[in-house]
Amino acid sequence: MGPIRRSLETRLAALGRVGAFAGALAWRACTPPLFGRAILGHVWSTSTRCLPPVVAVTLPFGMVVSLQGLEIFRVFGAERLLSSLVSVTVLRELAPVMASVLIAAQGGSSCAAELGAMRIKEELDATAVMAVDPLRVHVLPRLLGLALSCPLLYVAGSSAGLFGGWFTAVLVKNEPSGIFLQSLWALTTPLDIWAGVVKTVVFGLCIGLVASYHGTFATGGAAGVGRAVNDTVVHSVLVFISANYLLTSAFFGATT
Amino acid sequence: MSRPAEPLLLRTLGGVGHYALFVAAFVRAVRRHGVPWGAVLGESYRIGVLSLPVLLVIAGFVGTNLALQGHAAFTPLGGQRLVGLFVSLAGVRELAPIIAASMVAAKAGTEMASQLGVMRIREQIDALEVMAVNPLAFLVAPRLVGILLVLPALTVLSIFVMVASGYAVAVHQLGLNGHVFLEFATTGIRPVDFLYGQIKGMIFGALICTVSCWYGYFCESGPEGVGRATNRAVVTSAVLCVALNYFLSEIMYGR
Repeated sequence: MGPIRRSLETRLAALGRVGAFAGALAWRACTPPLFGRAILGHVWSTSTRCLPPVVAVTLPFGMVVSLQGLEIFRVFGAERLLSSLVSVTVLRELAPVMASVLIAAQGGSSCAAELGAMRIKEELDATAVMAVDPLRVHVLPRLLGLALSCPLLYVAGSSAGLFGGWFTAVLVKNEPSGIFLQSLWALTTPLDIWAGVVKTVVFGLCIGLVASYHGTFATGGAAGVGRAVNDTVVHSVLVFISANYLLTSAFFGATT
Repeated sequence: MSRPAEPLLLRTLGGVGHYALFVAAFVRAVRRHGVPWGAVLGESYRIGVLSLPVLLVIAGFVGTNLALQGHAAFTPLGGQRLVGLFVSLAGVRELAPIIAASMVAAKAGTEMASQLGVMRIREQIDALEVMAVNPLAFLVAPRLVGILLVLPALTVLSIFVMVASGYAVAVHQLGLNGHVFLEFATTGIRPVDFLYGQIKGMIFGALICTVSCWYGYFCESGPEGVGRATNRAVVTSAVLCVALNYFLSEIMYGR
């Protein structure tokens, strides 16, 4: 029982530290001054840096949904439902999740790498010594930048996914384009897009919190920064995938 | 071989060529020096067993969401029974290989990049060369063999967990009939789909390992260099896997 109990205790202690860290950041987010210009700068840099990988992942995913859906619907003779399937899966699930996975891998990990390098080079301590709050100046703008750029990237990613679905169905598999575009919105409503936006804001907060926690508390030189980056990607995907289940249940689970 | 530094398009093309040269040098090194088989078991343990808990949790949540979304999408059409088909088809054919690959890229791939990166900036790779040990055969080959052994197994496990958690949600949260779910889940897929999943897993594994090791092997100095190599390793290998997945699916299922 010894080692299990000890590992459980260290995990619970880490969870408590994350909670205290999140509380400290939330308090700073609610009280002035809030560095709007720095936040916008991080929104811009995160969005531009994550846009190519997000589009490069959601586009082929839309194409795959189209490919597989077409094969199934041809069996039932229901090809006209294809674009409804594409828009439902892309807007509700694939675009939020795959975009957030890539944001965690690109934006979250670079946030952790930057903060970790600042910790290792004692820049965060130097900021604190100069009576400037490092959480407010360095950490919070990065976290809010991630949270705000997630919905933007969701919109870009779902557009790319829908385009990928159209591309495969119409240009590769020679389905009529008119039917595809006509039944594209048969099963989706504006509520689906709002649900995606809410989801991605929550995912962005999760990613930003995990990334800034791992970056701010990095220890042990260059290897420590590498470990912080590694942990950031894995833990933030774990956290937001489990949040995704709860959010999906809340938005779409109550149809019975 | 050193990393080129030019404008974006040139840098990308140069990177592709540099990666190809790296793979060619690796193949040559393995043919000349062989694989150090003693290290393979440890690497497979580190890649497979240590990625397993994370992968299973994530595959489980993907399965639950497949069931929820399938239910939400098919209920207006009166096809609630199709939920089982939807979960098993989407899980077996596409999501299990991709989720397993991206989680291994996120966990084991980043670890490879940061380990090799740290060895590079501490000049341990140069030290290996000085000792007349070929670093490519010694460091990269066991990781490649390990990931080739382990990723197909992880794919099968995540298929199982996805369908199981989809079943749990469909039956216990959405109140569907379990027998109908399982019947539709098993009619939709063929045994060869599992084989295709394994093949996808092996191809993704080879890609993840070579890309991550390439980034780590040519890491720039300092903590930022290691962070950047790790970051780029996971992003590049995930993007390449998803893009490659479309062409593999087109070959396997598109006709």
